[in-house]
Amino acid sequence: MTQVPGPSSKRPADSQFVVRRVYVPKEQSLPRRWLSFMRANPLFTIGLILLTMFVGLAAIGPFFVGDPLRTNISEMFSPPSAEHWFGTDVYGRDIFARAVHAARLDLSIGLTIALVAMVIGSTIGVVSGYLGGWVDEIIMRLTDILLAFPGFVLALIIVAALDESLLNVVIAVAAAYVPYFIRLTRAQALVEREQEYADAAQLAGNSPIRIAFRHVMPNSLQPALVSATLVTGWAVLTVAGLAFLSVGIQPPQAEWGVMVGEGARDIITGEWWTSLFPGGMIVLAVMAFHFIGDDLTEARA
Amino acid sequence: MKKYLLKRVATSLLTILGIVVVVFFIVRVLPGDAAAVRAGPYANQEMIDRIADKYGLNDPLRVQFVDYVSGVAQGDLGVSIRTNQSVTRELLDRLPASLELAVYSVILATAVGVSLGVLSAHRQNTWIDRLSRIFAVVGSAMALFWLGLLLTFFFAFKWRWFPGPVDRLAVGSEDPGTFTGFYTIDGILSGRPDITVEAFRYLALPVITLAFVLAAPILKMVRSAMIEALESDFVRTAKAVGVPRTQILLVDGFRNALIPVTTTIGIVFGFMLGGNILVEFLFSWPGIGRYAFDAITTRDLEALQGFVVLVGVMYVFLNMVIDIAYAVIDPRIRLGSGITK
Amino acid sequence: MSLLRATGLNVEVTGSPYPILREVEFSVEPGEILALVGESGSGKTMAALAVMGLLPFGIDMTAGEVQLEGRNLARSDGTVERDASQISMIFQNPVGALNPTMRVGSQIARAIQFNQQIGRSTALQTAIEMIGHVGIPGPERVARSYPHQLSGGMCQRIMIALAISCRPRLLIADEPTTALDVTVQAQIFELIKALVEEIGCGVVFITHDLGAVAEMADRVTVMYGGQVMEELPVVELLNDPKHPYTRYLLESVIREVDHRIEDIGVDFALTGCRFGHRCLLAHDSCNEYPALEEISPGHRLSCFAEITEAP
Repeated sequence: MTQVPGPSSKRPADSQFVVRRVYVPKEQSLPRRWLSFMRANPLFTIGLILLTMFVGLAAIGPFFVGDPLRTNISEMFSPPSAEHWFGTDVYGRDIFARAVHAARLDLSIGLTIALVAMVIGSTIGVVSGYLGGWVDEIIMRLTDILLAFPGFVLALIIVAALDESLLNVVIAVAAAYVPYFIRLTRAQALVEREQEYADAAQLAGNSPIRIAFRHVMPNSLQPALVSATLVTGWAVLTVAGLAFLSVGIQPPQAEWGVMVGEGARDIITGEWWTSLFPGGMIVLAVMAFHFIGDDLTEARA
Repeated sequence: MKKYLLKRVATSLLTILGIVVVVFFIVRVLPGDAAAVRAGPYANQEMIDRIADKYGLNDPLRVQFVDYVSGVAQGDLGVSIRTNQSVTRELLDRLPASLELAVYSVILATAVGVSLGVLSAHRQNTWIDRLSRIFAVVGSAMALFWLGLLLTFFFAFKWRWFPGPVDRLAVGSEDPGTFTGFYTIDGILSGRPDITVEAFRYLALPVITLAFVLAAPILKMVRSAMIEALESDFVRTAKAVGVPRTQILLVDGFRNALIPVTTTIGIVFGFMLGGNILVEFLFSWPGIGRYAFDAITTRDLEALQGFVVLVGVMYVFLNMVIDIAYAVIDPRIRLGSGITK
Repeated sequence: MSLLRATGLNVEVTGSPYPILREVEFSVEPGEILALVGESGSGKTMAALAVMGLLPFGIDMTAGEVQLEGRNLARSDGTVERDASQISMIFQNPVGALNPTMRVGSQIARAIQFNQQIGRSTALQTAIEMIGHVGIPGPERVARSYPHQLSGGMCQRIMIALAISCRPRLLIADEPTTALDVTVQAQIFELIKALVEEIGCGVVFITHDLGAVAEMADRVTVMYGGQVMEELPVVELLNDPKHPYTRYLLESVIREVDHRIEDIGVDFALTGCRFGHRCLLAHDSCNEYPALEEISPGHRLSCFAEITEAP
């Protein structure tokens, strides 16, 4: 019937088929590549810029601004001016100075909480997902119970039960986010343990714990790391919310939530700057984390 | 279907038990000296000992636990240290206020979130889509307490559209008879529609504050679930056979997007049980959140314990309702996958 | 006059300069079954969706005419205005192609309702009749079922009932049996053939299975990489196709063929024939785009090479 096509009479003996393209994109210089990246991911770029600003502010700001605790009654309630960029509060303290110091506090607390929650939660999650069986069941039940409390309430009750210290705030809020990481890494671990490299490692005689940590965990950590940015944002929000209620971190500590709490009363008499600026910084910082975290999550998907 | 329900009820009860255990552990076991914490920083040893005795804090843990759990099973959440009243009574008195706030907030948030989400998905990349997404981002990052302050400043003080944060009704207004505990409904039921109007005016700012933050995740989820549904194979089939666009949007698109959306509404309700503390504090709302805050500042651990147990129970109950809703919405869950040949 | 004549179809991803479908054309005569053949990724489904006006968001038809019985359905902005009574379509993966939260009877009924302006209860009655007509026993009970409760074969019958209920002039069947068991396959083919004769519609049958082509088709259009390679009657396809790609397809079915050139995927930016990178006969002139030319009655070819029988 049919044969594989033999040489055609139309084809010159020495002709070659060279693929000819319509258009070859030219190599872009580095700065142009950055520009197109920024245009393609505007939110991520804004988030990154904001975050860099905040980190810069938090890192070196405190060296340049005044003392956040220094009071000066004669200057109380001055509106924003060249001398006091954010104005002063009821005790005459410079709001901008306080806000900058608060940036350092809030960001470092938020980051710490996210990291602690991630480390603890991921470990538990990977172990639970990999080992399966009754260990998994129990851990899942406990996680469900913890998740039955709204995060804020759980953190609240833990801080209330313990002493009011910075460490306890970190513990309390981290505890609220640990279940989230457990769920996340467990789901990933369940997928990873079915992969070939896990079988190979087992055949090579590794103990389950060793496999879980050395092989499965690094791969399961990916979604957790991405979420860490989002969780940092939530953590800052939670800590500030607690501080607003004077729980955990209290006046006269310079913390964004505390400042909003202090400034709440001033609203009635019209001094809007005492609470607007610190609150605005919270929102901007959390938005920065959201922009970055959302983009990373989408990139993974 | 019945099996599914029974299973859910059983799991819920177990979870509630778990909650009670966890709360008990946190409140009684964590602090170094439970009695000292309760007595406060100004107590002397005698007062501490008296409190320890009164609350049975010197009994072995087993006994304390059994006492507490059996109490909870009968609805007794202990006695408030501050007011010496039954915690259960005090919580139940304040619950309607919180519920009224919560319900209206969720209704508003859902209305806004769903309509914007559906519109966004339908008209991707148009101005309304961009606006919605910005709203979603700002809403997720918003600090509730700051927003509440801002709204109060502008709408209550500067422009006087709504009353200031005082209570649920103006000082001196009569309490309508208690039928539902919702002043907006009770006003009409007791023949005082002016009370209903007033109640709405006082509800406006806290509800808007809460709804703003709650609408964001709802909007995000509705939008992404709708987009996914609209790009699915069965929508393509419906278009191929000539089903009109509105029908497709609602029946094929929205109906199938409902499951993830319901999950989100559940999460949102859950968030609100916590967010309530902030909003109630800010607007001086006499609800359970305010009660919890007062409990914290006065170190009233019994009351706080009771509050957390109540919240946990409500949350579990809510999740059960949501699971039932799933079964109603999705025939795959309701009927299982038995194949008729 | 042909039942359907689609010419010059060019389909692109929005914003990209390179067409996914390039100058695609095919036609169906009244009462005829045309097979649209190609491997996955050849663009055959895309061509069907373009004709139906169902291209997904982000993909546009930049040029082309869709003539149904002489009338062009394509608008200048690339949309196609088509009625379900003109062209209807059934899809792969029948269970996924039906709304999971709606009973199948209602799904058919609403199509009837909207296309024929009849009342709800009459439409439902008609729907049940149609379900029985496509060979499903106990149609009342099945009509009240949900898609996930039915087998793949039954769902495909439901989809056929759905498509046929609009009494279309042309039916497009996109790989209707790929997701089904082989035993069910034959039944579905029989069903389609019977219904087509009964209604008198034309069919575009999309598939990658040459066996199905042999059984069902009158004529065949072969596609690769978004380009039409050859168009010929089915008898000639099975006996002596002229295009290198078509011959390769045939050979692959019959026996394992050693092709030294791996398939690296189609490059849509190429100026010339899109099969060039895999073709053993490719030479310089293949950098020009080969237009479809008629080499014998009813047989068109898009190729610069001439295939002669090996001695």
